[in-house]
Amino acid sequence: MLKGKLKFIIAILIIAGTIGYLVFSGVKNTMVYYLTIDELQAKVPQVYGERVRVSGTVVPGTIVKDNNGDIKFKITDGTNIIDIDYSGIIPDVFADEVEAVVEGNYTQQNVFIADVLLAKCPTKYESDEKLYESQKGST
Amino acid sequence: MYQIGNVCVYFAFFLSLYTVASSLIGARSKHSDLVVSGRNSAISVFVLLLIVSLSLVYELLNTNFNLRYVALNTSTDLPAIYRFTALWAGQAGSLLLWCLVLSLFSSIVVFFSDKRDLNYQPYVVAVLYTVLAFFLYLITFVENPFSLLPFTPNEGRGLNPILQNGYMAIHPVTLYLGYVGLTIPFAFGMAALISGRLNDDWIRQSRRWTILAWTFLSVGLLLGARWAYLELGWGGYWAWDPVENAAFMPWLTATAFLHSIMIQERNGMLRKWNIILLITTFFLTLFGTFITRSGIISSVHSFAQSDIGPLFLGFISFVLIFSFGIFLYRIKELESEENFDSIISRESAFIFNNLLFLGAAFAVFLGTIFPIISEAITGEKILVGPPFFNKVNVPIGLVLILLMGIGPLVSWRKASPDTLKKNFLVPIVVTFIVGTVLFALNIRDITALISFSFCGFVVATIVTEFYKGVSVRSSRGENVLISLVTMISKNKRRYGGYIVHLGVVLIVIGITASSTFNTEVEATLNTGESFEIGEYSLTFEKLENYKNDAKDGTKAILLLSAEGKTIDTVYPEKNIYRYEGNREINQETEVSLRSTYKDDLYIILSNVNSNTNATFRAIINPMVSWIWAGGLVVLFGALITMMPKFSKRRVTSTENIGFNTENA
Repeated sequence: MLKGKLKFIIAILIIAGTIGYLVFSGVKNTMVYYLTIDELQAKVPQVYGERVRVSGTVVPGTIVKDNNGDIKFKITDGTNIIDIDYSGIIPDVFADEVEAVVEGNYTQQNVFIADVLLAKCPTKYESDEKLYESQKGST
Repeated sequence: MYQIGNVCVYFAFFLSLYTVASSLIGARSKHSDLVVSGRNSAISVFVLLLIVSLSLVYELLNTNFNLRYVALNTSTDLPAIYRFTALWAGQAGSLLLWCLVLSLFSSIVVFFSDKRDLNYQPYVVAVLYTVLAFFLYLITFVENPFSLLPFTPNEGRGLNPILQNGYMAIHPVTLYLGYVGLTIPFAFGMAALISGRLNDDWIRQSRRWTILAWTFLSVGLLLGARWAYLELGWGGYWAWDPVENAAFMPWLTATAFLHSIMIQERNGMLRKWNIILLITTFFLTLFGTFITRSGIISSVHSFAQSDIGPLFLGFISFVLIFSFGIFLYRIKELESEENFDSIISRESAFIFNNLLFLGAAFAVFLGTIFPIISEAITGEKILVGPPFFNKVNVPIGLVLILLMGIGPLVSWRKASPDTLKKNFLVPIVVTFIVGTVLFALNIRDITALISFSFCGFVVATIVTEFYKGVSVRSSRGENVLISLVTMISKNKRRYGGYIVHLGVVLIVIGITASSTFNTEVEATLNTGESFEIGEYSLTFEKLENYKNDAKDGTKAILLLSAEGKTIDTVYPEKNIYRYEGNREINQETEVSLRSTYKDDLYIILSNVNSNTNATFRAIINPMVSWIWAGGLVVLFGALITMMPKFSKRRVTSTENIGFNTENA
């Protein structure tokens, strides 16, 4: 009986150990720092070459598309601004003043080369107010 | 109308509190009057919530923009069907739907339970209505769907165009039915612990509800994946986004629970384990709702967010402390006398299945909350993205597929070496044939080779099982088809389960093929030019502009040819929604999708550069349609396991319980 139980315990330990290892090595190999723009700039130069994720608001009027469908734009946290070069699928939501999240490398030239671009609408409640403000007069 | 709804929300909240109190007091003091009164008020809560929902639907259909909820989620140009589905498009409405579904399920439980039972059922009702009261509190006092604006706007904000899609209309409801359904087995388990009636009755009731909820959850997850695939325009169906993970985690633990309760039903083992799984699953549903609704973890899903986060955290802590507390209080009574006999048995296959499912759920949980943990510990926000989830879950998934094949081949208690040899021979031969043939066909991706071979193993196992059963019957001179049908209907759980497994295999094949062998080509073309992808060639004919009430559309027309012959015309679109209420998201990319059993050709119009020049992105995703087909098979199998018994014969006690007595 004891022998049978022991076998189970060993098998369970092997499974738990393997999953633990997978999780550990997975985190180690795929983790990405999520920084604000000033954190990114504070981390220069050791941030060069490291894969990071940064978020900020798209500066209006800075989105430039080239003929290959790649885009350049700038994001800001209100005070600091960084340049982004992105190639890939552009989300429908992406536009001036949306919150953009980019992932990639910050280069020596202080341009962020991104291969992931996520965009979020501005928080809904703020924009609601705007919508109602504009319509208030007509009611 | 909304005044009626608003009054009914308050009534429903206080009545559900009354239900809890009267059930508890009735059960403690053995007052059947109070218990019956609790049951009646439980059902009235459902009726009230139905009125609440109908009155909100009425206001939505009539676009009464004085109601904040209506103004936020509809507009006059929105088709009636989406004005109706706006019921669950926003925060308050989805919480209301949650309450409505929970009260419906609870009323069904109450209706079919024995009202003379004063020991156990009242606690089921009390647990259910405590959970309901929490959600009702939210829609009554925090996120009331009937709250008014100080003025009536002329126009509402409208529904995001990417949500105006049939899949999006039914996906949230399906997911909710699954999510909410998981509350019922939790209530059965808690009531068993509170009342101390720890025989296996509660497990049987839980099983049915868990299968039902599991089916809704599975279908809901697949509908969501299909919606993302059709509408989001990046060519994939799953991104390990926190919101997806939120629905996937309870699915994993519920799947584990569905397997491990079979062992408890057979020989009373794993009783503590099952309670833990049940509590974990319910916790994960609450946690999932919390992260999607509180916005604590940033997700690309832009849900309406509000400050219900702290309330949720409080409620989750309460649930965890209470349920683990009562579990520890009863832990001695949950001991089972039985022990595991052999490591080579079906029981142990189930144990390993459970550990792997739980391991996967843990990994997904950790990955999802990693930014929060890392920020708390190191002060820096660290993310783990899709590569992490794939790295951890793919190996776990592969072993699970293997177990899915092994399970039916090993007998309960202890398998003898002779039968093992006999049972495993054919499936193992099939596995190697599949592997060798694919290798000969030049497939070198090791994960794909393993995955497909294991799928072959599972299919071989299941086909053998069906063949064995049918051949025994047809050898008695029965028609093969008839014996197949009678065999399945005599043991629905077993054969329905196998059919679910077959569906899972189809899904795994689709996921493996589409994630390993996809090709992507990007091209900027003038009209008349063409580009190649795989064996296809696409010629850019022209751009066409069109207008309708809602949008200005730009449609690219491309001729699709293969082997020199034109086979189809495809129309990817890029549209601008005109109505300014939708101004946050006014652009919509409509992909063109040509789907066959072999592959999906997915074409995106990524940029219009001029009247005669555009940029396209084309993706070939092999065998994606197998995922959706597999989903239908899963649904079919699950329906078979849930079918009530139609047998006219006297129902013996073992059959009633649904024990699998045919095969050891």
